[in-house]
Amino acid sequence: MRVVPFGWRILVAEWLFEILSEEIPSRMQGMAQEQLKSLAEAELQVEGLDFDTIRTFVTPRRLTLVVEGLPLHTPERVEEKKGPRVDAPAQAIEGFLKTTGVNREACDILDTPKGQFLSVTIKQPGQLTEQILSKVALSLLEKFRWPKSMRWGSSSITWIRPLRGLLCVFDEKIVHLSYAGLDASNSTQGHRFLAPTPFEVQNFKDYEKKLRDHFVILDWQERRQIIKADVAKVAGELTPLKDESLFDEVTGLVEWPVALKGKVDEHFMNLPLEVITTPMRVHQRYFPLIDEQGKLAPYFGVVANVEAPDQGRTIVIGNERVLRARLADAQFFWKQDQKHPLEHFNVSLKTRLFHQHLGSVFAKVERLVALSTRMAEKAETDSKIVARAAFLSKADLASQMVNEFPEVQGIMGRYYAQNQKENPEVARALEEQYWPKASGEKTPDALPSLILAMADRLDTLVGFFAIGITPTGSKDPFALRRTGLGLIALALNPRFSLSMLEALGWAYDAYPWDELTVPQLKSKEETLSNLWKFLLERFKFSLRDVQGSPYDHVDAVLSVADQNPNLFDLSLRVKALDQLMDVEDGKNLLIAYKRASNILKIEEEKDKCLYGGQVKKELFDLDEENELFKSLSQKLPEIEDFVKKGEFVKAVQDLATLRLVVDQFFDKVVVNTEDKNKRVNRLHLLAYFRKTLYQVADFSKIEG
Amino acid sequence: MKTDFQTVILKLQEFWSQKGCVILQPYDAEVGAGTFHPATTLKALGSKPWRAAYVQPSRRPGDGRYGENPNRLYRHHQYQVILKPSPNDIQDIYLDSLRYIGLDPILHDVRFVEDDWESPTLGAAGLGWEVWAGGQEVTQFTYFQQVGGFPCEPVSVELTYGLERLIMILQGIENVYGLAWNDPKGPSPMTYGDVAQQMEREFSAFSFEHLDASMVFRHFEDAESMCTQLIANKLVLPAYEYCLKASHLFNLLDACGALSVTERANYIGRVRALAHACCTLWMENTCG
Repeated sequence: MRVVPFGWRILVAEWLFEILSEEIPSRMQGMAQEQLKSLAEAELQVEGLDFDTIRTFVTPRRLTLVVEGLPLHTPERVEEKKGPRVDAPAQAIEGFLKTTGVNREACDILDTPKGQFLSVTIKQPGQLTEQILSKVALSLLEKFRWPKSMRWGSSSITWIRPLRGLLCVFDEKIVHLSYAGLDASNSTQGHRFLAPTPFEVQNFKDYEKKLRDHFVILDWQERRQIIKADVAKVAGELTPLKDESLFDEVTGLVEWPVALKGKVDEHFMNLPLEVITTPMRVHQRYFPLIDEQGKLAPYFGVVANVEAPDQGRTIVIGNERVLRARLADAQFFWKQDQKHPLEHFNVSLKTRLFHQHLGSVFAKVERLVALSTRMAEKAETDSKIVARAAFLSKADLASQMVNEFPEVQGIMGRYYAQNQKENPEVARALEEQYWPKASGEKTPDALPSLILAMADRLDTLVGFFAIGITPTGSKDPFALRRTGLGLIALALNPRFSLSMLEALGWAYDAYPWDELTVPQLKSKEETLSNLWKFLLERFKFSLRDVQGSPYDHVDAVLSVADQNPNLFDLSLRVKALDQLMDVEDGKNLLIAYKRASNILKIEEEKDKCLYGGQVKKELFDLDEENELFKSLSQKLPEIEDFVKKGEFVKAVQDLATLRLVVDQFFDKVVVNTEDKNKRVNRLHLLAYFRKTLYQVADFSKIEG
Repeated sequence: MKTDFQTVILKLQEFWSQKGCVILQPYDAEVGAGTFHPATTLKALGSKPWRAAYVQPSRRPGDGRYGENPNRLYRHHQYQVILKPSPNDIQDIYLDSLRYIGLDPILHDVRFVEDDWESPTLGAAGLGWEVWAGGQEVTQFTYFQQVGGFPCEPVSVELTYGLERLIMILQGIENVYGLAWNDPKGPSPMTYGDVAQQMEREFSAFSFEHLDASMVFRHFEDAESMCTQLIANKLVLPAYEYCLKASHLFNLLDACGALSVTERANYIGRVRALAHACCTLWMENTCG
């Protein structure tokens, strides 16, 4: 325990815990840092230990936890245990004495209105925090879960890579802990090469500083900032191509980042940009550099983990050599692939399986030709261009370049198509068929690209749903959820809007089901119904979380989705509804609607029927009835027309104008009048109102 | 420090010999990697400690480039080390071996980059890294978790040095055929090209142009059937050798494009079944 001047004792102290291991994969470090923090919080809470702050750190070789403001021991706990009545049977009293571990004499007697009871006060002494931490540390090690873990040596303990050291210090003293054959100490190691000798630390401040002296930057964020700044520095006039995830990855590969600049041989610079940058980024973790005009420069940034005595000259030479070999391969593939026209690769697609029960990739290509032709006709665009793009769509998958660098699929298709003078729209579609590449990224604008992209996803989803492969829980081996989200994003592109159910049907019909041997093929109806439900679920999410519409508006609109299964229209409808509900007229209209539908609901239940029949003008008594009927008769066809044309803002504006006549109707008219015929007629009129609103959405789903 | 091909091999032999490894010779049948040598595959199973090191010429018919590509080879050389159980300071020992052959980890920015290893034909898997020197992968460093479908208890660590790549870095050259094989200042200097280029040319032509696929399919059937018979007779080492033959024949068929995707998966499954049967027999013999 430290003593500060004036004899004041510090009542809180700091716990430092470091788990040293062999190199942790970069992609797992972030999650490890978070998990250690949340686990530690939970474990300390279970043990009843309060603290001020908790922080975790990660480098390629260590996971570190520091907790500040822990008490030196837990407080004494006093607990009063109430026992049986004083005059309870001997057995009950004995049992109580046994469980509490005291004699009869040590018991107090509690006077209560219900009589006298035995009671025992048990004092649990406080525990030394140090002892508790030893337990906590152990359970952190035991409870930690890696996405993948391994055994090593003769031990059965698992971790992401072999554990090599434990540093566990509380209040500057070692906390006793043994795990995986390691005894915790107050010592650790710095950089593997630059300062391998172990050193001792007192506390976190000392630890962080000494690590720095031993060439380790503990803080991930700080390392990342250093890397960004240093890469910018070596780049000089150039700048790294935007790629934040590459900075993340590199941060997890180094403890002591040192940026260096390498050169790309000029004669590779005529290769396509993606062909040059893919091996750089994906295989070598280099930062491609671009000039002020955004053009790729013949240089790259590379981040080493050492300060080398030759200022990194050898490292640069080595890295340039590796890149040269990779680009020489790429150049070779570039030439080889173009010895034949692109369609030549379709031959090898015949022996490449799309799925065991769904035929080859070439069979998929043939379906895509059929499906996208049909879609092109619907979109009234040149179906020859679309069909050609579909025919070439998967050819590059069999090219040598894509086999070596799978990341450039589609992109190579575009280049090879351009070089063989295909229609530019065809070439463009070959790349853009894979858009959106990730959720939130852009969808293609060109119609052929958009159609091909949709066709590809329709075909995949329908195929797998038809053979009964659907995502369940965490299992989605064919990434159908992502495919579904992609399809939705595409369907929201206003360039081409279509009935989703119709398109799904076309995709189903494009499969030659008779020729395929599927053990349990689902009918078209079942496939479409399952898939439509699946898509609507995802669509709901997209409307709420991406478009930001309130969930009741989404529900109100999706309730009428089957009438018009066009996702783009549905999204406009929701937006229009959002607008309507924002204004006074809309809110009042909703009130009127609720009133009408409540009346209808009650009366329909009473009368065991559904109103909605012919309204008879001759039965009207009052002007307000007449006015409402006149407005509805005029507005309904208008609204139907707007809905048909997808002009939902106009449709809801029209709806809003009904508000006045409806309000007046309710002010003056008593629906449940004595006259039976008039009552029924008025209910029909209300149903007419309900029906008019239903053209846009099911207003009963809206909260108000 | 001398960095010719054979001197580096000799130094690695010396280094690992000092670490208690038995220094073995390459397995005398065609294999795709040093891992396939029974001294690794089979010895990784069972509880008995084991340390071995050897050079293994490894054939990858699909990588043949007629002796024209400076980096790709039909047959390359691996230096294979297997240590069971994996020592606690194995990373340090390994780094010492690099220093021993003249590769300074600081000068070359040696790094351990995640790369888990899996051999579908052997039913083997492990976790580890590819070790980089100046951005070049020079070693596959793997803690075996499973071989032939059996868990490895204790765990072996396998180090597979890619000799050509490693020594190209040491010699600072970019074309494998220019590697000094023996002492370039000695009485009869030989390059890698002098020693191996003809083989590269001819075997590439063989596997891409002159391979009689129907004959190789037959050989595969034969090797498979022989392996099965030998397993029935409890002769694990000969059985395993025929499993290796089947594996190599599969590689040949794969390289010449004789297999469709489905067939390919089917053949891999058949080799894996043989490997699993051999490993099962081995486990029965050693643990039984």
